[in-house]
Amino acid sequence: MSIRHHIGDDTLMAYVNGTLADSLSVVVATHLAICPKCRESEELMEEMAGLFLMETDTSTLSATETAMADAIPGSTLQEDISEKQSRRMHDYSNTGVPMPLAERMPATLDDIPWRTLIPGISHYPLPRTGSEKKKGTLRLLKIAPGKTMPEHSHSGQELTLILRGSYIDDLGRFQSGDIADLDSDVHHQPVADTAEDCICLIATDAPLKFSGFFSRLLQPVFGI
Amino acid sequence: MTSPDGIRQDAAGSRAIPQDLDRDLIAIGQDQDPTAFKRLFADLAPRLKYFLIKGGMIESAAEDVMQETMMKVWRKAALFDSSKASASTWVYTIARNVKIDRLRKERRPEPDPEDPCFVPDGPETGEQAVSRKQDRERIQKAMALLPPEQMTIIKMSFFEEKSHGEIAELLGVPLGTVKSRIRLAFGKIRAELEALQ
Repeated sequence: MSIRHHIGDDTLMAYVNGTLADSLSVVVATHLAICPKCRESEELMEEMAGLFLMETDTSTLSATETAMADAIPGSTLQEDISEKQSRRMHDYSNTGVPMPLAERMPATLDDIPWRTLIPGISHYPLPRTGSEKKKGTLRLLKIAPGKTMPEHSHSGQELTLILRGSYIDDLGRFQSGDIADLDSDVHHQPVADTAEDCICLIATDAPLKFSGFFSRLLQPVFGI
Repeated sequence: MTSPDGIRQDAAGSRAIPQDLDRDLIAIGQDQDPTAFKRLFADLAPRLKYFLIKGGMIESAAEDVMQETMMKVWRKAALFDSSKASASTWVYTIARNVKIDRLRKERRPEPDPEDPCFVPDGPETGEQAVSRKQDRERIQKAMALLPPEQMTIIKMSFFEEKSHGEIAELLGVPLGTVKSRIRLAFGKIRAELEALQ
């Protein structure tokens, strides 16, 4: 897999410092699993954060807190790493997608209960938990060959990761593994451009906005 | 300078030595060395607490996150790989994840090298080596060359853990400006790191 479209440094930095929305973080983490180049950037940013940590002032610790330095080694067993790792290996449901996405999928990519939006385009909103479940959207989208997504723009940020097939829009051609990192001011209209269905993972940190009359009719469907 | 109970006398308020931290963390992972943990705790816990408060947490929450982080440091120390990151970076990532898990009540999405779908790093390249701990000094030098308006945003992001939106509001500039300054800053840092090789 040769990846040509990567995570923007601004987005990656928000992922590293923990301020990126959970929905967008799932897409970033899924891309990181398959992109050594972006992981290199992530390591650089974490190293910078580690440098800032070493340069901070210190807070005074209470007696209780200081006592932890003795209490922790006395009371807590270190984990058996090998056992933990083998246990984790069994946790992967065989979904064929990287773990950060797999753990949020109800079935394999072949068995997703797609819901048709308009002929040739279907989607599946991924279930969300946690305190951010109402913020932003996370969904799988399937575009049939030659079909076009309704023109839309975003009030926030949109991240799209291509899982299968490819699409083409004003910004170029996006193939399996590529990520499209779009800001609110971008209007785009992707077309699936091969004989294969294009399946993507799409996250936003705010609802989508559709331009055009017909597209506005879709708003309630998309904006779940 | 080390006192009999293993606490460095000069630890509070002064700069801890990164190599000492790495060595202590390795000793905790390999030998479950409680004295090494005491030293690491004395060096890092007060900084971590300050860092978390600076990042917007109230004191009691910062205490909880610091304590849970130090607990995890003890339990997971065997996973620390000093060829991949330095000790302070490793501890930073644990603290960040503890904080996110608390705030969101959901585990932070992260790639897992054990995942069959994970694509491992290719053979080591010159570019890859820049993220290693021995290159910390180069990272510091490269950061020092950033123009002030970019450095301010990097500091607010890493030191105060502000979001792009919060930074835009505080500086009174559009969100797009914050994002483009971040992209410019990292472009410059990468170029400097290559030039410094």
